[in-house]
Amino acid sequence: MAFLELEKVSFTYPGAAAPAIRELSFSVEEGELIVLTGATGSGKSTLLRLLKRELAPRGERRGVIRLGGADMESLPPREAAFSVGYVLQRPEEQIVTDKVWHELCFGLENMGLPREEIARRVAETASYFGIESWYELPVCQLSGGQKQLLNLAAVMAMQPRLLLLDEPTAQLDPIAAADLIATIHRLNRDMGLTVLVIEHRLEELLPLCHRALVLREGQLLGCDSPARAAALMASDPRLAESLPSAARMHHLLGLTGECPLSVSQGRQLVQRWMETVPLHAAGAETGAAVSPTGGKGALPPALELKQVYFRYERTAQDVLRGVSLRAAQGEILCLLGGNGSGKSTLLGAAAGLRRVQHGQVRIFGQKLSQYKGQSLYRECVALLPQDVETLFLCDTVREELARTGADLSCLPFDLTLLPDRHPYDLSGGEKQLLALAMVLAQKPRLLLMDEPTKGLDACAKKQYAQALKALRVQGTAIVIVTHDAVFAADCADRCLLLFRGQVAAEDAPGVFFGTNLFYTTPISRMTRGLLPGCVTVEEAAARLGKASSAARKEGGV
Amino acid sequence: MILIKSSRLRAVLRWLIPLAAIPLLVAAGVALFPQKQHLLVSLGVAVLALVLFLCGFERRQTGSRRMVLAAVIIALCIAGRFIPLVKPVTALTILAGMYLGGETGFLVGALSAVLSNFYFGQGPWTPFQMLAWGMIGLSAGWLCRPLKKSRLLLAFYGLLTGVAYSLMMDVWTVLWYDSGLRWELYRSAVVAALPHTALYGVSNLLFLWLLAKPVGRKLDRVKLKYGV
Amino acid sequence: MQGFTERNPISVAVYFLAAAGVAMFSMDPVLLAVSLCGAVGLFLLLDGLGSLRSHLWMLGLFLLSAVINPLTYHNGRTVLLVVNHNPITLEACLYGLAAAGMIVATLYWFRSFSRIMTGDRLLYLLGGLSPGLALVISMALRYVPLYGRQWRRVEETQRTLGLYREENAVDTLRGKARVFSAMTTWALENGVITADSMAARGYGTGRRTHFTLFRFRADDILLLVLSLVLAGVSLWGAAGRTVQYYPVFCLSPLTGRALAGYLAYGALVLLPLILQTKEAIAWHFWSWKK
Repeated sequence: MAFLELEKVSFTYPGAAAPAIRELSFSVEEGELIVLTGATGSGKSTLLRLLKRELAPRGERRGVIRLGGADMESLPPREAAFSVGYVLQRPEEQIVTDKVWHELCFGLENMGLPREEIARRVAETASYFGIESWYELPVCQLSGGQKQLLNLAAVMAMQPRLLLLDEPTAQLDPIAAADLIATIHRLNRDMGLTVLVIEHRLEELLPLCHRALVLREGQLLGCDSPARAAALMASDPRLAESLPSAARMHHLLGLTGECPLSVSQGRQLVQRWMETVPLHAAGAETGAAVSPTGGKGALPPALELKQVYFRYERTAQDVLRGVSLRAAQGEILCLLGGNGSGKSTLLGAAAGLRRVQHGQVRIFGQKLSQYKGQSLYRECVALLPQDVETLFLCDTVREELARTGADLSCLPFDLTLLPDRHPYDLSGGEKQLLALAMVLAQKPRLLLMDEPTKGLDACAKKQYAQALKALRVQGTAIVIVTHDAVFAADCADRCLLLFRGQVAAEDAPGVFFGTNLFYTTPISRMTRGLLPGCVTVEEAAARLGKASSAARKEGGV
Repeated sequence: MILIKSSRLRAVLRWLIPLAAIPLLVAAGVALFPQKQHLLVSLGVAVLALVLFLCGFERRQTGSRRMVLAAVIIALCIAGRFIPLVKPVTALTILAGMYLGGETGFLVGALSAVLSNFYFGQGPWTPFQMLAWGMIGLSAGWLCRPLKKSRLLLAFYGLLTGVAYSLMMDVWTVLWYDSGLRWELYRSAVVAALPHTALYGVSNLLFLWLLAKPVGRKLDRVKLKYGV
Repeated sequence: MQGFTERNPISVAVYFLAAAGVAMFSMDPVLLAVSLCGAVGLFLLLDGLGSLRSHLWMLGLFLLSAVINPLTYHNGRTVLLVVNHNPITLEACLYGLAAAGMIVATLYWFRSFSRIMTGDRLLYLLGGLSPGLALVISMALRYVPLYGRQWRRVEETQRTLGLYREENAVDTLRGKARVFSAMTTWALENGVITADSMAARGYGTGRRTHFTLFRFRADDILLLVLSLVLAGVSLWGAAGRTVQYYPVFCLSPLTGRALAGYLAYGALVLLPLILQTKEAIAWHFWSWKK
């Protein structure tokens, strides 16, 4: 008997014409780690919420969900609540109480456990998750990664039999995300915990999971081993984007057979491929990575920082310690770096929100202080904040666009489907696009963006990159702060690594990611030493494909 | 009540303390300090009312969403007290009472007072403040229908409660200072607090006039969307 | 002051209620003087001289409260001078002084209390009354710093949109209203996620335990019992001495009972210092033995 069993489950939202979930049937064995994937709107969140009775959306449901052999509807409320753990996407909002220790015992208090039992479980959980050193801190002092770890720990303290996670890493930086995924994997491996996780960061998780469940328009496309699921997803252009780099390369090269998933498998693939073709044919492409516009110095500068120093308080440490950088018009500049390296502060300084203590900030050749009143923000500089919800004031998308005077017809993307919805009801990707439309209404010549791809799936990211490239063609200078190496490799003209308030490295993406060992794209890791300067999947596939066709030609002669 | 293991005994004590202990304490105080009897009686009554209400809060079924909304509004009240000139506590308490019911209004008013006083100065006036703001929220809940209908009435109600709140707190100041409510002293206290009272009433009026509609709409939306 | 501040919040709260309560309800000049000295002393021990401005403000309040009585109340037999045909009497002056001392002493007691009662401690006290209430407070306490941060973020973002002028007071007020409105939406929408997270963790499925980090130890019980006993003795003592301000200031002769009351109140006021010293001595012996 399966641990979790769904039998012909359908679900329709009230007032919706078509069901969000259609006749889903599948079963999960105890101890499995299952990834749930699908494009935005495919019903994966709805499905996950249906598995958690307390969070089940209101609407019409048919079919049976069985947990451990018993119909979920018939479970007593306490058992239903405590046997299924659920972690939501946003780390901040799902925390209930003000202190770490209190958050850990919140669920246990709800269970009505005796105090000694709570003390024991909290102690055990805090030790296992490494929370001891920040056990008594207030929650507001934690980083995003710590908050999400706390959420996971708080759920695990209740000892659920089934753990559900809804895009737990979407709001985290890559290092915190990798840590969280490792923790989830450890829980599954060490304790035999059954885990269902929605994730679009498949790069790390797909190689670790037992099975992947692929949804399309509320229907089950397949539930299979990761390699086979990857082959299945590759056939759908929207789903293919979110596959791990190795699998995408495998697909683009038109290969069949076992699909590679991890970086090491991908590297083996590249090695094998290169063994079959003469080395010089592939080597002929060496140094193909040219800086796309070569724009450094050629075009007039939009933003210049010279030896900028900044700190928030007199007694605090410097956040920016002599940063100098330059962004030319019509150039996309990506700033990468760890948490606390000063990326966002730098953006704030460029947007005139932080007055620097030393050094100069020049926008289009003029000092910031020369811009009087609102002139800096009119047809000059626009800032897309990290938290785009801080932009929204109105009750509908239409009002929001009208307030800022945005012209939908000259946007490089389509927003016409959304006018009467509430901004907070949009998906992450739609929110980002709306925010972009609002700041573009200022007709900026310099666009500053703070983590624009946070929480976007691969497909939305692609769309976003295209919008930015269209803006670049119009001559807009774009400075992007991001953690997302793949996105930076895709759209940047130049990349900068910021470390402790200084610029540590600066290069065209090919050279930048080709040289970096840790802060780089998976493809760069796969092709290191084999295809120098190759950082995106498309590039790698093209060069490998070319090499092989050249070899074939040679063989033919 | 933390040391007592038996839940029944705990329940008995929970009712015994407010119902018996506080009047006893007041009576003893009056006997010992005849000069301060007004103060003692008023303080005792205020604490008793608060304790009764807050204990009762546990018994009533309060959904987790309503509780979170109450916490959100309380935090907005406290955060709003940092804004110079405009103090949104009364206005937000009124809105909470109107849209989330009188009981939630009372809770919001009373808890905003005690929590924000941890930032602005706790004192023996805290129970009175709690009671005053709580009553403002409770009555807004009773009057929610006419208040929702007329913006003018709502603004006037804000002005009125602002002034009434101030006058009531002056009574307490005088009681604390003197052995009884002496008219001359009360008059001078009211006169001294006049600019403050006026500012308070006007800021309430302005706040409700400007923000009642948008905030009300947001509350209605959340109630509708998530079924509070 | 760890020997005192780290005690169980219930004991600490009872101590402050006792110390401030005796001062609040008595008009005995000796008790009030002791209370004033003790309250100011304790606050200085906890806080140092750091906030000089607030001490000056308290001094101002003291003077104002002392003056207001003789200016508005003209009973009393000993006339000192006449202002605008109204006599200023010695008795009214003395009463004003006593009332001012009482008010300032109470304020200082409460200030020390607020300094010690951090969020956790407050929660522990109120959680005993009602776990549901404690949860609302805990959530609100978490939201306050969060909203402060969000407020600044919204303000900055809206500024960079360049849509609104910031030239005069009306613009500024409108700007604040706008930020407040945006904050409200954000807070309410995100509050619902919190509610989901609570439901997911089984909130409201049955009886809740109230878990705390605080325990009752011997020292806590000592503080609790001593506070109650000393406060009782001082009340009993104070009741044995009548104080009359009008028409002539008159204090009945000092009896043994009254003296016992004074001594008990003195001990009560010094209790934090005594506990602290006890802790210091214990620590000293411990490190010496090692």
